[in-house]
Amino acid sequence: MQQLETFSYDNRIVRDFAVATVFWGIIGMLVGLVAAIQLFHPHLNLGIAFTTFSRIRPVHTNAVIFAFVGNGIFLGLYYSLQRLCKARMFSDALSKIHFWGWQLIILLAAVTLLLGYTTSKEYAELEWPLDVLIAVVWVIFGVNMIGTIMKRRERHLYVAIWFYIATFFTVAMLHIVNSIEIPVALFKSYPIYAGVQDALVQWWYGHNAVAFFLTTPYLGLMYYFLPKAADRPVYSYRLSIVHFWSLIFLYIWAGPHHLLYTSLPDWAQSLGTVFSVMLIAPSWGGMLNGLLTLRGAWDKVRQDPILKFMVVAVTAYGMATFEGPMLSVKSINALSHFTDWTIAHVHVGALGWNGFLTFGILYWLIPRLYNTKLYSVKMANFHFWVGMLGIIFYAVPLYWAGVTQGLMWKQFTGTGYLQYPLFLDTVTQIIPMYMLRAIGGTLYLVSAIVGAYVLVKTAKSGSLAAEEKAQAPTLAVQKEEHHVKNVYGHRWLESRPVQFFVLTVIAVAIGGIVEFVPTFLIKSNIPTIASVKPYTPLELHGRDLYVANGCNTCHSQMIRPFRSETERYGEYSKAGEFVYDHPFLWGSKRIGPDLHRLGGKYPDAWHYNHMLEPASTSPGSIMPPYPWLFTQALDTAATAAKIRAMRTLGVPYPEGYEKFANKDVLTQAQQIAANLKSANLAASEDKEIIALIAYLQRLGMDIKGEKTAAVK
Amino acid sequence: MVKKPVKVKDELMEHDFDGIQELDNELPPWWLWLFYITIFWGLGYLVYYHVLQVGDSSKEQYLKEMALAAEMQRQTPGGGMAGAAIAGQEGEAAEVAALKDEQSLAQGKEIYQKNCTPCHAPDGGGTVGPNLTDEYWIHGARTGDVVNTIVNGVPVKGMISWAPILKPDEILQVASYVISLRGTTPASPKAPEGQKVDYSGIN
Ligand code: HEC
Repeated sequence: MQQLETFSYDNRIVRDFAVATVFWGIIGMLVGLVAAIQLFHPHLNLGIAFTTFSRIRPVHTNAVIFAFVGNGIFLGLYYSLQRLCKARMFSDALSKIHFWGWQLIILLAAVTLLLGYTTSKEYAELEWPLDVLIAVVWVIFGVNMIGTIMKRRERHLYVAIWFYIATFFTVAMLHIVNSIEIPVALFKSYPIYAGVQDALVQWWYGHNAVAFFLTTPYLGLMYYFLPKAADRPVYSYRLSIVHFWSLIFLYIWAGPHHLLYTSLPDWAQSLGTVFSVMLIAPSWGGMLNGLLTLRGAWDKVRQDPILKFMVVAVTAYGMATFEGPMLSVKSINALSHFTDWTIAHVHVGALGWNGFLTFGILYWLIPRLYNTKLYSVKMANFHFWVGMLGIIFYAVPLYWAGVTQGLMWKQFTGTGYLQYPLFLDTVTQIIPMYMLRAIGGTLYLVSAIVGAYVLVKTAKSGSLAAEEKAQAPTLAVQKEEHHVKNVYGHRWLESRPVQFFVLTVIAVAIGGIVEFVPTFLIKSNIPTIASVKPYTPLELHGRDLYVANGCNTCHSQMIRPFRSETERYGEYSKAGEFVYDHPFLWGSKRIGPDLHRLGGKYPDAWHYNHMLEPASTSPGSIMPPYPWLFTQALDTAATAAKIRAMRTLGVPYPEGYEKFANKDVLTQAQQIAANLKSANLAASEDKEIIALIAYLQRLGMDIKGEKTAAVK
Repeated sequence: MVKKPVKVKDELMEHDFDGIQELDNELPPWWLWLFYITIFWGLGYLVYYHVLQVGDSSKEQYLKEMALAAEMQRQTPGGGMAGAAIAGQEGEAAEVAALKDEQSLAQGKEIYQKNCTPCHAPDGGGTVGPNLTDEYWIHGARTGDVVNTIVNGVPVKGMISWAPILKPDEILQVASYVISLRGTTPASPKAPEGQKVDYSGIN
């Protein structure tokens, strides 16, 4: 007989992550709800900068992705990895540092984002000190995981672990590459990439945050917890192999589908489209393996809230991964992009797939951690049904809103005019849908609170089995099981983690390299435009205020080459216009109109009045007022550091210009203040609003008036 | 393809992980076909647009769309591309006459209520912008002058050009409505600005 080693699983760390998951989940959803309500009731921010839509929207997205789902990943991973490796986590100390480090990051993230310290890059908004902290904590997590895999007592790695491995390496790569930036102050930096390149890197990151943070780790969790909860074998091992490798290889390429019809070169856009469509089958492989595992257990599904949550989660995954490729087809994207359609799409994924799988896992796990029974199956069922209703009330109105608004933007009259030239008309049209969406969000939040109550009651009724004893023979005495089929040679690979890591890294690196290298090196991809000049120092300050106040959460700066857009906004955006834009500010959602050619459209006085109270110039506007810009003085002490950083990045400010830059700041500010004065607006030239107006008036002016030559 | 021996369905793999077993089922054929088809579609797409370059680039699509629209404009009586020149050139200002029919004025009122009230007040008494009901005019009082002001805006004072937003007939309607406000008494009229105008004998 082989000798058995006795050891114990660390359940306390699992419990800790579970508590954090539920806690941050509820906070994240609550912030989302407040943001949703502000879209029809902007004054809910109570006139405070920190609670304004454009500040809390990134708090919401970061909280649900990195705090709710993030802790959810670690909760499920720490539980399943130990058991699948028949080993305790590599190091209790690393587990603890990982846990507290992650919670610290979340806390700092919330505080800094509310204060307006943001890079503006979606899901990567955190400033450089936090980026460093994230990298450190992530590596600690990785060491802990890889250490556990290395000292495992199970020769072969189960499919869940493949997904965990891919998650670790890819997220590390994405985070580091997308966060390369030059610090100019403790909480201010500029990314080294500009314009088109910055956009490409950002959406390579952004899309794969969805792929490797919201998808692959959760597939790993599904592969462990779903067969456990259903007590059924996984449908097809072969399918696991094929869909795993194809998924991680193809996913990386699809980022450009966020940039269709933008100034990104056409070939890169096409790669985004093509690889997204090719992702349908690999994604559905996961859904099939999940749903088909439940064959023969459907009667159980009817009884058991845990399986109900899981079935809906996997189905939502299948729906979202079919819709995603459809939205990547250019003709559909032309309608859907910048509208609420995208928001509806991601919430089917977030609320359905991530949310419901998390709750399913928690309902399965907590009674086991506490050696007890679920406090109330009835309430768990209630949670399920109200949550379902919440998803429906969330998604359906937003699909409606997205399609309605998208069509209104494009509608021409018979005589060739835009049917709705006033952008605001297309907003007021969908306000009722925003209200319904908030009802959906409320239902989902309430259901989650009920769930939290059930889980707490469950835990209270038992006691934590912090150390769970287990036995297994060491790896050294286990023989390679030659009688087990070596399907596709994969059996071999599964027992060799190092080779597995290397192959994974190769698979996930290729797509990015193929897309980045030509975009960065081949000049024709971004044709230079001679008239494009760097921002003046005052405009640069204004731009930073635009970022700090999150204007890009509601405004795009990317006019697509459609008649409906060039008639509304002016000539479509060209790649060469963005060469000094660190970061790019193309935006992803038009709650307000595009601003790329805003310069000169309105007088300074209009902007002054509009920023102070948007409804004064645009009755019924849902844009929040920004009164603090009128009282806060512009921080000109930072001018020199900003100019220097920009020059390092290749923006052609003359050598030594930083010494005189503040003189130019003053001259330009005085001019704007004088303009305002002539319209009877008393504005002192040292206020932030002056810099913001300078920036807004600069937008798109470099090539104003030029039109694309018509075909003969 | 090589013919494979008939597979046993739902055969268990001889291994389990923490009690989880896996079946040795084949890939579902329809799933595999779906995968192949999307791969072929993808290759075809790249070849069509980028190797053979048969498909239009984004820019070519745009130029075609614009050319088509321009063609349609030519064929539509009363049509024009938005932003095109609008009635009310300086020399013709004297010629433009205000509309008097009820329907036009009602339409003008609607346009006014929606766009102009933030600066001129719902009753024309003026707030940020001047009072429109008195006899004092900064930029001229003839219908053509009012149309011009609406078309060009008064950028230094904060009034935008409405040409990209309102259509020519709408501009005439709202100008006519503004003219119809003359002599009414607003709730809180703004002090007179500009020059006093004698309305007799002007359009
Ligand atoms: C909650 C979404 C939201 C946020 C945040 C927001 N806006 Fe707006 N913005 C709108 C909407 C809606 C409109 C259209 C109605 C109007 O003119 O107010 C608009 C209009 C504008 C316009 C007029 C554009 C035009 O062409 O008519 C400007 C300029 C503008 N916003 C600037 C800003 C700036 C600068 C910020 C950041 C300080 C900002 N907005 C933040 C929603 C938003």
